[in-house]
Amino acid sequence: MPEGILCNKKTIDTKEQLDAILADASGNQYYEEMNHLDIDKVALWTTIRKTFKSRFKTWLEICAHCGLCAESCYYYLANNRDPKQVPSYKIKTTLGELIRRKGDVSNAFMQMCMDTAFAKCSCCTRCGVYCPFGIDMGIMFSYLRGLLFSQGFTPWEMKIGSGMHRIYRAQMDVTTEDWVETCEWMEEEWEDDYPGLKIPIDKENADIMYTLNAREPKHYPQDIAEAAVLFHLAGENWTAPSEGWEATSLTMFAGDWPACKMQVENVYAAMKRLKPKRVVGTECGHAYRATVIEGPYWAGIKTGQPPVENLHYVEWVAEVLRTGKLKIDPAKKIKEPVTFQDSCNYVRNAGLADIPREIMSYIAEDFREMKPNREHNFCCGGGGGLNGIGRYREERNIGFKVKRDQILATGAKLVVSPCHNCWDAIRDMEEIYHMGIKWTFLKPLLIDMVEVPEHLKPKEE
Amino acid sequence: MFKKILFATTASPSCDHAARVAFDTAKRYDSELTAFHVFGIPTRGFSQFARDVRTGETVTLDDDYLGWVKEEMKNTYARQLELHQKCTIEAIPGVPHTEILRAARKKDVDLIIMGSTTREEDEGTYTYRSTTGSTLQAVTKSARCPVLIIGRPVASAWGGFSNIVFGTDFSRAADSAFLFAYKVAKTFGCTLHLFHAYDISSVHSGKIMEQDEIEDNMMEAREKIRKMYVPRLKGFDDYEIDIWEGIPYVEIVKFARENYADLIVMAHHTRKPSSEKALLGSTVEQVVLRATCPVASVNRPDKIKDL
Amino acid sequence: MYQFVTGPLLWLSFAIFFIGCIVRIICYIRGLDWQADRVAYTTHFSYGIKGAIRSIAFWLFPFGTRSWRNNPVFTVVFFVFHIGLLVTPVFLLAHNIILKERWGFSLWTIPESVADVLAVGVIIAAVFLILRRIALSEVRILTTTYDFLVLAIAVAPFVTGFIAHHIASDYKFWVIVHVICGEIMLIAIPFTKLSHFVLFFMSRAQLGMDYGIKRGGMKGKGFAW
Repeated sequence: MPEGILCNKKTIDTKEQLDAILADASGNQYYEEMNHLDIDKVALWTTIRKTFKSRFKTWLEICAHCGLCAESCYYYLANNRDPKQVPSYKIKTTLGELIRRKGDVSNAFMQMCMDTAFAKCSCCTRCGVYCPFGIDMGIMFSYLRGLLFSQGFTPWEMKIGSGMHRIYRAQMDVTTEDWVETCEWMEEEWEDDYPGLKIPIDKENADIMYTLNAREPKHYPQDIAEAAVLFHLAGENWTAPSEGWEATSLTMFAGDWPACKMQVENVYAAMKRLKPKRVVGTECGHAYRATVIEGPYWAGIKTGQPPVENLHYVEWVAEVLRTGKLKIDPAKKIKEPVTFQDSCNYVRNAGLADIPREIMSYIAEDFREMKPNREHNFCCGGGGGLNGIGRYREERNIGFKVKRDQILATGAKLVVSPCHNCWDAIRDMEEIYHMGIKWTFLKPLLIDMVEVPEHLKPKEE
Repeated sequence: MFKKILFATTASPSCDHAARVAFDTAKRYDSELTAFHVFGIPTRGFSQFARDVRTGETVTLDDDYLGWVKEEMKNTYARQLELHQKCTIEAIPGVPHTEILRAARKKDVDLIIMGSTTREEDEGTYTYRSTTGSTLQAVTKSARCPVLIIGRPVASAWGGFSNIVFGTDFSRAADSAFLFAYKVAKTFGCTLHLFHAYDISSVHSGKIMEQDEIEDNMMEAREKIRKMYVPRLKGFDDYEIDIWEGIPYVEIVKFARENYADLIVMAHHTRKPSSEKALLGSTVEQVVLRATCPVASVNRPDKIKDL
Repeated sequence: MYQFVTGPLLWLSFAIFFIGCIVRIICYIRGLDWQADRVAYTTHFSYGIKGAIRSIAFWLFPFGTRSWRNNPVFTVVFFVFHIGLLVTPVFLLAHNIILKERWGFSLWTIPESVADVLAVGVIIAAVFLILRRIALSEVRILTTTYDFLVLAIAVAPFVTGFIAHHIASDYKFWVIVHVICGEIMLIAIPFTKLSHFVLFFMSRAQLGMDYGIKRGGMKGKGFAW
């Protein structure tokens, strides 16, 4: 059976393999090889038989084909109500067909499945909320991604992402040394402005352990500094682990389930090792979902809870503003109309809808809700790893239209978006559609707004 | 004088003057030079994409593109590379100021040389901007070593100076700038102008100052310079003290022009600015944009002790 | 013939129907896997039950959920159809008379006029559902012959019953057809999409537990369906 050099059923577990796939220009060779990739039908069907159980079976079986899911899907709306974008149709023609044929499918079919599972669904799970039977097609597409991954059918960037996690236990090539070094550097760079600022590494029994997204040490270290400053100003006893600081999981998007387990166990190990009272994760949607919501199940924890209580960054912010640990200078509240981007991963899929409203009530004078909002909010258009996939750029940009119109309808000039992927999506949206808006994480906003306690101010020279 | 120099370049014509100074200086002091280009700003979420800082286009970060960028840099600086062997070329994706600062720290360089670009060319105008302010502002604020910024064509490489203007605001950071200015003046035997511009920009907000008050303050500033800096010149007597009043960056630029300055040395000590202030830029930035000579920004003592 | 279809065949149909439904429920529950589904069903059972009840209850009320409210016409038709489908056969006077005759007990009954209204409601709703399947592109693309067949199985007893009672001259023939149609429906329930008769509750409960336990139910106020 032909296996490509880059595109194959093997996982990426060594640096050599990773370098080789990174060297491929835009994944050209990778996708070319994919055209010749054989399907191990026996293995595929065996996997399906083991994992395709009553929930999925029932979902596919009882779907009444009523079409109520159509309007729940932003792809359907953005593509001029193309019936081919109806969630039920999408899953029926992919996973449904795969099951019907008992895994006896062609290469072209698998590629069609991949294109559908990644470019027509960002696994936002909104359709499940609108189906009378509670058929969650987002979950089914996640499952399908897993089946596809096991057969080597996954977008180039997802294969890279999975490899990164397998090798570095982080979504990017950031080693422990790089990470610790970056913390030291940020401490140095910012302590002039915030005397006494520390980024305590590996402190045991702290009140808070901070976990984050590898893009921060890799490309945006000021995010780490900003987090440190806010912890510092709030007087928190906090720490960051030298190992197990990465909370994201591209393996979840890719459907590389074994690596999901490896990744999340690495973070849990840090929690067990440092025994913090609580863990706070950075402003990232899927990191929270991977580490807090889904992670315990990958790791096989029966309670479905991570070893230590975990907060999303917005929960921490709401808490410190509520308790007054951080005080907002009333004069610096946001005056212009501002809206909030509910991330599917921690709002619809983790029940944190109230938290952002509370935060906005503290920091904004003219807060405007998007419609719909909260659990019913639309995906930004870049979720499920879609932002990162070159092959599906076009499809993603069309999908943006729904979020664009939602934002424009609020009249807001600023979008608060505490999620790396939403942030990226809104930026790209602005570049493509020129909406005339700004967008931001919470941290830089807060840094500008909070009152610095007298004893933490830099001494005047 | 400088063992390791980092030349932070956009690998475009706007850095040509800076390139000349960087390579000539490295050659003169036999320094290790790194021509460092941060070519693409990556996304926040996971992707292999970056926004090319020059073209504004979205590019895929793979070996192909990286190789192409490096090759182009080699072509751009082919002549200089031939003349100075101890030079390496590096191109990486990232946020320019972050990567420049990271590289400077990691390589422990003694001097950063940057070109200054006009605002339109600056990557800060892209919405990719990740922090407030420009690359220049961020680098000058946080660098541990002197940062030499070259905007316009300059006559020579480092050295051959006749007049150095040290602009002070009496901050602690300015201490380091002074030390640097003094050492350079001593090395090259040129005139050191100790200059302070008394800020009367508050008149625009309606606060009228009496002339007496202004003059008193200027007298005081002169006295301060005498006390703070003159004793540390240790016998070096080719210095002049001048106090002008006005908007600091305008006055420094005017003063430098009138005194045929070859170099302006100042500190960039402003705090991390809030977004609104950052857009106006710091005094250093304003001076860089307007001055006809190179500007050295020095904030910290780390790298000038052994000069 | 009449004796046979309302006797042994009826027994058989009911047996298949009840046993089939129970088997479907048991199979469904046995096929749940806390780790694969990623829902800690048993550890947080109380949260799960709360979520399950919410998830079912909101959907059982017309306009109880966002999805119902967004589609008012469909919702009305849907509920007319399903209420008629469930209420009419169970509480119909004629059915209960037979029940009393055969098994010696009967249930509370609805007036004949109400039964007629409900039955006509079901038939009209079915026509609407058929038209909807044909007219709306997003439904048309999903529709298969099987969907029409299932609809036919569900509505046939109503059409035949109505004919027998109100129109036909040959009452005896139509009543036998009606009974057979009813039995086909009973038998079809466990084996076709009509299994949603029970699996609706299972599936909704499962997603409710998912939201109640994992996706925020333990932190938020419960999902706003």
